[in-house]
Amino acid sequence: MIADIFTVAGKELRELLTFGDARGRSKFSLLILILIFGIVIPLQNGREWVQSPINIMVWGWMPFLWVSGVVADLFAGERERHTLESLLATRLSDQSILFGKLLAALTYGFTLTWIIMLVSLLTINVGFRGAGLLLFPFEMTLGALVFSILVSGLSASIGVLVSLRAGSVRQAQQMMSAGMLVLFLPLMLMQFIPEGWRESIGNILVNVEPVQVAIGVALVLFVIESLLIAIAMRLFQRSKLILD
Amino acid sequence: MNAIQTNQLTRSFGNLKAVDRLTLEVPRGTVFGFLGPNGSGKTTTIRLLLGLLDADEGSAQVLGFNTRTQSDEVRVRCGALLEQHGLYERLSAADNLDYYGRIWHMPKADREKRIRELLEPLDLYKRRGEPIGRWSRGMKQKLAVARTLMHHPELVFLDEPTAGLDPVASATLREDLVSLVAQEGVTIFLTTHNLAEAEKLCTQVGVIKHGKLLVVGSPADLRSRTSAPRLYITGQGITSQAVDRLHNHLLVKKLQQRNGELIIDLNDLTRSHEIVTQLVETGVKIDEVRKEKVDLEDVFLQLVEEEKRGEE
Repeated sequence: MIADIFTVAGKELRELLTFGDARGRSKFSLLILILIFGIVIPLQNGREWVQSPINIMVWGWMPFLWVSGVVADLFAGERERHTLESLLATRLSDQSILFGKLLAALTYGFTLTWIIMLVSLLTINVGFRGAGLLLFPFEMTLGALVFSILVSGLSASIGVLVSLRAGSVRQAQQMMSAGMLVLFLPLMLMQFIPEGWRESIGNILVNVEPVQVAIGVALVLFVIESLLIAIAMRLFQRSKLILD
Repeated sequence: MNAIQTNQLTRSFGNLKAVDRLTLEVPRGTVFGFLGPNGSGKTTTIRLLLGLLDADEGSAQVLGFNTRTQSDEVRVRCGALLEQHGLYERLSAADNLDYYGRIWHMPKADREKRIRELLEPLDLYKRRGEPIGRWSRGMKQKLAVARTLMHHPELVFLDEPTAGLDPVASATLREDLVSLVAQEGVTIFLTTHNLAEAEKLCTQVGVIKHGKLLVVGSPADLRSRTSAPRLYITGQGITSQAVDRLHNHLLVKKLQQRNGELIIDLNDLTRSHEIVTQLVETGVKIDEVRKEKVDLEDVFLQLVEEEKRGEE
């Protein structure tokens, strides 16, 4: 089954990396992402970029957006382009197809993040040459590597779930956008929490080690992803997908 | 052993019986044509045979495997070109075939050899590196046929392979199918509503309507089932009186007028001179008389009509 998962993932990545669709549109979308996040933003921020808190958002949150941009296509796109039924008529098991597509989306997200990290580091070192090599702090690097995988995984598992249910790519993208609003909901609801509660939460967080917070968040993400994948496995039924 | 054997196979969608107690045997090595009008249950039958849908009642064995409990084994040994070609238009022709070769765990060298083997006779090998998005529908359909054969399947399902193609592309694809079938020696289960196609390609045909199998046999068998030999007459002065008189003739089973031509199904073709004599007596100046056996299309239409009458 492992070989089958890699076969499916390989095809998905090949399609993603052939730079655009059959008409040649969006040919440079990946290059634009690398240009903005790997060159423009680091140059605007200067040498402080390597220590900047913006990095936490870029490396921790951006993979979600990058993956959500492609993940809607995985099943809804196959259905829309009438390639899904042919795929379901092959010897591939349900799990191979599902995990292959998940792996492709996940790989796309964290690989793109790591490439952009590397390009941004090169940009800073070339653009602001000074004494010594500028590097991201170790904790930030480790956090970025781990969270880019987890956040890509979260986006991929939400996306696969949405893509399985959606009738078209457009519908899947709309559902993904709505899903992202739901993710931001807790932050928006913060202002409605009573002042006393907020202070208590703040006190708790101040006394907790950042590493512990990171591990806690990572565990929560892992559990959520596992649940989403379990639901996707239940939803993935050949006969249902054929009739949809 | 039969390649396909079904027993009272039934599948409904709500109140609609898409496949109704289908009992069918397809021997290995045959090209079996499954004929029927749109919506008659052909595609649902293929989906049931591939284990993509479960039957409500009855059972099916494909290559000796139960389609309900061993559908994975069925799909390992079969190739399928379904209603849509299902090709990845962003990928090249070679990449499309290579992907399916990988799915069936073919080694790299075998995949490359097989791609050449399949694409060369179809005149597509030189264009194997092109993304297929801009290819014509006929070329894509040829490629899709090649893809179904990529892993040397024992049984191939082709669901209306020439649907939507222009006559030239259809004819080319049919010729390619004939040569590929001969080259590969596989069992083919082909659905179509194109009778000429079935007549040309198939050794056995089955006719389905409203999910029910009406008849099975070789095209020649089916033709002989409809007893009526046919007479085509063109001429001048074919009046309504002349036609009325023919209607009452004992030899005439059925009479139609199409584009100024009389098409007469007779009880006995050896006595066709009596019809000609009668027409001449009523003042018709005959230009041409042609005797022909009915083709598969007539058989099909007759069967469908009989089934309709049966329902009424």
